[in-house]
Amino acid sequence: MDSIIKIKDLHFSYDGPKILENIQIDIQRNEFIGMVGPNGSGKTTLLKIIMGVLTPDKGTIEVLGKPPFQSVKEIGYMPQLTPFSRDFPISVEEVVLMGRLGKTSSIGFFNKDDKRAAEKSMDDVEILELRKRAIGSLSGGQLQRVLIARALTCEPKIMILDEPTANVDMKIEKDIFDLLKQLNESVTIIVVTHDIGFISQYIDRVACINRTLICHPTSELTGETIENMYGTHMHMVHHHHEDEKKLS
Amino acid sequence: MSSFFDAVSSQAFMQNAIVGGILASVACGVVGSYVVVKRIGYLAGGIAHSVLGGMGIAYYLGRPPIEGALVAALVFAVILGWVSLRLQQQEDTVIGALWAGGMAIGILFISKSPGYNIDLMSFLFGNILMISSDDLFWIAGLDVLILLIVFLFYKQFLAVSFDEEFARLRGIPVERFYLLFLALVALTVVILIQIVGLILVIALLTLPAAVSGLYVRSLNLMMLLATLLGVVFTTGGLAISYQPDLPPGPTIILVAGAFYLLSLVITRFWKKA
Repeated sequence: MDSIIKIKDLHFSYDGPKILENIQIDIQRNEFIGMVGPNGSGKTTLLKIIMGVLTPDKGTIEVLGKPPFQSVKEIGYMPQLTPFSRDFPISVEEVVLMGRLGKTSSIGFFNKDDKRAAEKSMDDVEILELRKRAIGSLSGGQLQRVLIARALTCEPKIMILDEPTANVDMKIEKDIFDLLKQLNESVTIIVVTHDIGFISQYIDRVACINRTLICHPTSELTGETIENMYGTHMHMVHHHHEDEKKLS
Repeated sequence: MSSFFDAVSSQAFMQNAIVGGILASVACGVVGSYVVVKRIGYLAGGIAHSVLGGMGIAYYLGRPPIEGALVAALVFAVILGWVSLRLQQQEDTVIGALWAGGMAIGILFISKSPGYNIDLMSFLFGNILMISSDDLFWIAGLDVLILLIVFLFYKQFLAVSFDEEFARLRGIPVERFYLLFLALVALTVVILIQIVGLILVIALLTLPAAVSGLYVRSLNLMMLLATLLGVVFTTGGLAISYQPDLPPGPTIILVAGAFYLLSLVITRFWKKA
């Protein structure tokens, strides 16, 4: 096994109280990591550090053996909320092509290789027939797939997804995680979620963040560990969807 | 209307006006589409109005106002871009201050200019009928420059206007492209001032693209249609203004505005139906 992301004694604050304290984690190739924690716990901050947008105050971080700003182009990122306007005049294919930035030539239009890569990732997430559609005309689930395809188009070694199933129903959530599981055969995946009960069947380890980080192998997950990481009383609600567990 | 066509076929100034309108439509279709989808009409308005400062100084120094306009537009584009990137909290207030400050500088310099007091109105409201062949070369040159930059950095401009955060993560120097883009807005503003004057620039910059955005769902088509609409608005405005001897600038803007309102109603109705 080789290590893809290596973080040691990492501390971070935005000119104030510590947001992240003494973070250690070593993520291996082709691991599937679930990242959980309450709002404001530092999840997004840690992701930004991994992608080189923020620099830690102390400690070391290596992504693919390099400092994060050098390896960010190898990361496929899917944001939590869509920061763009849904009525922007742009087609599915054009959005997916944006994933090629940083890999393709810096001047002129997208080339044949870019188009091929975009086609492949649209095919992987089963939206090839939507390629000419305007993004404003898509359903929530379709748009999530477009964003996954965009993240995939750079042929990433790591994928980072920030709550990829926040606005979709259970059926689509399951479809998306089945898809991620498939992609995980060749890509290391970190996914932020609140729905740890549901995804425990997909992931290898859970990284619980609340200023500090504690990792649990999925097998150790119990109501008590989840309660500890959210710091409040939670109910595990068992109900059956082909043997899934959902936390509500 | 037939007297308009007579004038176009026989009068050089009318031919210049028509060609000027067509050349200006290229810049306003392309750059205006970005302004509309990125929703920075207010920022573009700030650049357009503060340009009067540069024109006034140039006039005071006895230089052609277009040179002052060009320098001022680029300087204010960089300042306003920097403000909108760094001072996001007070962005609108600062833009407002620069907007008015630029105009005030212009008016002071114009009032202190020696010699015959020029027609301030032609700076403010433009006069497409006064466009000379020299002006046409200027406009054509700026068009070529704008198109060249947009073609070269097509991907980056698309990415930065669609999703800045993602563009940054793909290694695009987002701030540099934002400033370059505002420089393009500045060049376009300078072109359009020749046609409709600086008060009305913002309407001609945004209305063709806004109308076009109601009908098409891709940025390339939006630019193409906006350019064609720009030609229709400028030529149409000229034609309507000719017989009753109305000022062409405001007529062009009213034609564009009427088209926009009509299109809003039509597309609403269409979607409901």
